[in-house]
Amino acid sequence: MKTLYLFVISVAVLLAGIGSASAYTTPDSLAAAGNVYISGVTYDPGAFFTGDKGTVSISVTNGNRNQSVVVDHATFGDDDIRLMGDPYDVASNIGPLQTRDYTFSVAADVPDGHYYPRLSLSYRDAGSLYYPAAVWVDNTPLVLAVIDSPDSYTDGKKNTISLQIANPRKAAVKNAVLDIYGANADILPASTYIGSLPAGTNTLVNFSVTPNAETTLNVTLRYDNGDNHHSVSRQIPIQFSPDKKDATPIVSNLEVKNTGGVFKVTGDITNAGLSTANAVTVTSLSPAEPADPYRSYVIGALKPDDFGSFTVTFNAQNQTEVPLRVSFKDNDGNIIASTQNVTLPRFAAQDKSGSGSSLLPQAVGILALIVFAGGWVVYIRKHKE
Amino acid sequence: MKFSLFDLLFNPNRFFQDTLGDTEHLKMPVLIVLAGAILSAGYGYLAGSLTAKLMDSAMGGLGAVMTIFVIFATFAGVFIFWLVWAGLFYLISKLFKGEGSFNRCLEVVGYGYLPQVFGAVITLIAALEYLPKVVVPQLTSSALQDPTVITEATKALMQDPAMMAYTQTAAVISVVFLLWSANTWIFGLKQARKLSMRDAAICVGAPVLVFIIYVIATMAGA
Repeated sequence: MKTLYLFVISVAVLLAGIGSASAYTTPDSLAAAGNVYISGVTYDPGAFFTGDKGTVSISVTNGNRNQSVVVDHATFGDDDIRLMGDPYDVASNIGPLQTRDYTFSVAADVPDGHYYPRLSLSYRDAGSLYYPAAVWVDNTPLVLAVIDSPDSYTDGKKNTISLQIANPRKAAVKNAVLDIYGANADILPASTYIGSLPAGTNTLVNFSVTPNAETTLNVTLRYDNGDNHHSVSRQIPIQFSPDKKDATPIVSNLEVKNTGGVFKVTGDITNAGLSTANAVTVTSLSPAEPADPYRSYVIGALKPDDFGSFTVTFNAQNQTEVPLRVSFKDNDGNIIASTQNVTLPRFAAQDKSGSGSSLLPQAVGILALIVFAGGWVVYIRKHKE
Repeated sequence: MKFSLFDLLFNPNRFFQDTLGDTEHLKMPVLIVLAGAILSAGYGYLAGSLTAKLMDSAMGGLGAVMTIFVIFATFAGVFIFWLVWAGLFYLISKLFKGEGSFNRCLEVVGYGYLPQVFGAVITLIAALEYLPKVVVPQLTSSALQDPTVITEATKALMQDPAMMAYTQTAAVISVVFLLWSANTWIFGLKQARKLSMRDAAICVGAPVLVFIIYVIATMAGA
């Protein structure tokens, strides 16, 4: 038994001797450790939002020409920038003039600011290396700005809106996607892939919107900061109002006639707007029933300040008012229509054109009178002689 | 007394020389004017029916009253015009020292009405052709309270294409046949009032001319 105790103690002493001999610090090993330096630090993402998770890769270079260094332990982080996962606990060798990367997963649960979490390397035989790797926590979102939009929106008219997407952050974002949604509106494109957006840069995205009713567009920009998903949204109200530059057909000089039970409305349309009104068309609406020969009347294009005359015919029994529809196409082909009520006189003046109204009866009367008077003058003179 | 219809129409000088006796005979002139009045009442009835339609849509029964009134007015109007023409010729001929009684004037004017009887026949035919085509505006009973509405409705009725065609046709017929009558009246008045041909022509021509100018002016303004 006594012999067994002596054996165990001997082995323990031997192992302890071996251990102390392997961790032994020498002037050479210290000099070699002094030539090890941090050659690069890379954070992904380059700037964190509060709550983001990411990685930091630190490149450690052995500057010695003929001597390796052994790293027993490597870890990273502090109270602000938390290390997620395990540190490097297994010894690793960095050969002469070699570089080894140490990558750590970290999380930033701190407010905006600059932070300096530390890399800690423990050499086997030459103490440790500490290195503060600066990182930014920046909660500035991407900018989503409307830089061009129509002065007004009109029902059914296609308009283009320009958005600027800017990245004021200190690092790039990636996988940026712009989504636009609005009820009662046709949007094209409804989704646009932008991709990466480097720091301090911007890009333009144009989309068309054709509202069928007043609505609100919800614009959402989704992007990834590292592997963290983020988004920024804004709303664009779409409210109808007269277009200041649009064509404005004005109906005037209206005249209503009754031609054998069919009403005939004539008038002028003047374009009081600033754009050309194409394919200007006039027709009557219910309760009137369009009738031949002018069920509809196409005036054609009216430039600003131009005017054109029209004639429409319709039946409207027992009506005192009838709506006229004036429509035109804008330069994009959108049909813009307006209605104007025409008051029908209780007893519309009859249309005399083509009804035989002429000076013929008067001419016949005058001729008969002249023949009669002339005949009598001749007759009296003759009998005088 | 000799009565020749042909002479009355185409040789009135001979007609009045043969027909006019010492005393006035108004029976035949009255019959001629009566014929003209009956025919006038005929197209008065047709025209009155349109007014009746206009009024009946607003108030039932009013149309019948209107029709009766128009028939009576056109019938009586012919007799009134007979008296008026005779009166005018009598007064104007006085300026030319015409002799003879007013009844004599009535007699010759009555005979001279015969061409207008034929004119009335043609006018009646025109009325039968045109007036049924007239579109009559519809009035409501409340519209009767508004004089503007009635004016507008009447204007619309008068400006109906068929109504205008009838009005113009009737006016031309009346002018032509009035001139024919005037021709007859000149010879009649010469005999009745013992005037020269020139004076008789002036006595008849002046008022007829004024009347015809009025008719033509009315046509132009319609």
